Amino acid sequence: MEQALVVSTMQLLSQILVNGVLLGGLYALMALGLALVWGVLNIVNLAHGALIMLGAYVGYYLFTLLNIDPFLALPLSMAVLFCVGYLLQRGILNLIARAAMFNTLLITFGIDVVLTQLAQIFFSADFRTINPSYAGSNFMVFGVTLPLVRVLAFVVALALTIALWLFLLHTRLGRAIRATAQNLGAARLYGVEPKAIYALTFGLGAALAGGAGDLYGVVSQINPYIGATLTAKSFAIAIIGGLESPLGVVVGGIFLGVVESLTALYIGPTFVDIASFGILVLVLIFRPNGLLGATT
Amino acid sequence: MSEILLNVQGLFVGYGEVPVLRDIHMDIRRGEIVALVGSNGAGKTTLLRALSRVLAGTGKITFDGHDLTHLTPDQGFALGLVQVPEGRQLFDQMTVFENLMMGAFRRRSKGAIHATLESVYALFPTLYERRTQRAGSLSGGEQQMCAIGRGLMATPKLLMVDEMSLGLAPVIIDQLLEVLSTIRKQDVTVLLVEQDVFAALEVADRGYVIETGAVTQSGTALELTESPEVKRAYLGI
Ligand SMILES: Nc1ncnc2c1ncn2[C@@H]1O[C@H](COP(=O)(O)OP(=O)(O)O)[C@@H](O)[C@H]1O
Ligand SMILES: [Mg+2]
Repeated sequence: MEQALVVSTMQLLSQILVNGVLLGGLYALMALGLALVWGVLNIVNLAHGALIMLGAYVGYYLFTLLNIDPFLALPLSMAVLFCVGYLLQRGILNLIARAAMFNTLLITFGIDVVLTQLAQIFFSADFRTINPSYAGSNFMVFGVTLPLVRVLAFVVALALTIALWLFLLHTRLGRAIRATAQNLGAARLYGVEPKAIYALTFGLGAALAGGAGDLYGVVSQINPYIGATLTAKSFAIAIIGGLESPLGVVVGGIFLGVVESLTALYIGPTFVDIASFGILVLVLIFRPNGLLGATT
Repeated sequence: MSEILLNVQGLFVGYGEVPVLRDIHMDIRRGEIVALVGSNGAGKTTLLRALSRVLAGTGKITFDGHDLTHLTPDQGFALGLVQVPEGRQLFDQMTVFENLMMGAFRRRSKGAIHATLESVYALFPTLYERRTQRAGSLSGGEQQMCAIGRGLMATPKLLMVDEMSLGLAPVIIDQLLEVLSTIRKQDVTVLLVEQDVFAALEVADRGYVIETGAVTQSGTALELTESPEVKRAYLGI
């Protein structure tokens, strides 16, 4: 009797942890673009969540209008958002790259408002979800239920994160992006054109948001207003994980996912956001360089 | 005598309204090491900035047959005018290898880049040993080697090294000066900018002394080393 209770408690806990980790992978992908742009351009992009929202709608319309599977639509969603990001940077944000933080916050907040309003006009305020035929499929591993789309979203999110990491570490342009972030003057001295690097970086950040949005539309409901919360969560993860490496962001994402799942179960679903931002505040106070960052 | 690589005539440069350089004339011949010496604040770095087109000025600068006056910093760099900046300015979080590769950012031929990399490692075996270490973790001398190596990766025709010896031990300075003599034999002309007048004149063929924005003396390294004015100004004799 007692043993059965222990077993079922253990099972519940593992289920919650698995849910949290799966959610966390997607969170990490969301935060990755924000952290990249923040680290290189010194812009905290308050419109990041709105870009995720746009990516979700690209996936949604590709699925409902053209019947394209959301996982196949992912590269398309990323490509569209890359263009949106590249143009935003070339047109507006190049004016404020490396400007005072307050200016960048103001302008990206403005972009967020405009994108959200446009989405409301063109897509309506209704809740939508991308619902492929296999959306309800589950499989069991050691008594833990694994929803197929969440596992797929997790795997894809992780793969994209690793791809970005390899790109930054091992390609000529990736090196130039990091060099520009570390020492703008020296990068310029050796023929790097900051404007081109900034536009590329912002485009990449937006593409990651687009990919994350497409996946988010599969595992959750979307409407034009999801952006604000997602920006805030991405910000929290970037702070927790630090801006140094994609690995930190993955750890931060999974950490947040697990905390949210545990909170939803043991305290109540309405407390999820309070818990995650509570942790953000604690990290800002006690480990301002991130959980993995150096203590100073 | 070999042909003239860089020619500066009547150059005036300032920051906004503040004039710094007055009527600079200078020649650098292919294959030479030329020292530009002068105390702190004399205007040496300002001259380098003008040569690499970061600062505009009036006067005429000719480099390798091109009139630099209307070129951008990028175009000057593409012609082979490469600067090793004051204070090294490495990408601290990146490895030595990555720093070197950033010097070759504008080059496309993998084979040629690799060949230059090999020659840089041959000049500085320490850099090869430390190629996977973060540049920020190197000693001052090693950082300066990395900065010079990064400059060489851009295949310069004229390498302008700003305050190479600053903060380094005499042994290390001698090593670096040795390397400059070696790369001169490999067809790289060097403009060595130094506060440490006598170190610079040790390896230089010729030198210019600059004081408060104007060239006050020029001549062969020997002439300058023997010059009573230079001795008085920089040795306090
Ligand atoms: N960015 C700048 N703006 C205004 N004045 C400057 C700037 N940089 C240098 N100066 C001034 O120009 C003069 C020459 O400086 P600099 O070329 O750096 O000298 P050096 O390299 O010989 O030590 C100094 O009086 C310095 O104060
Ligand atoms: Mg100087």
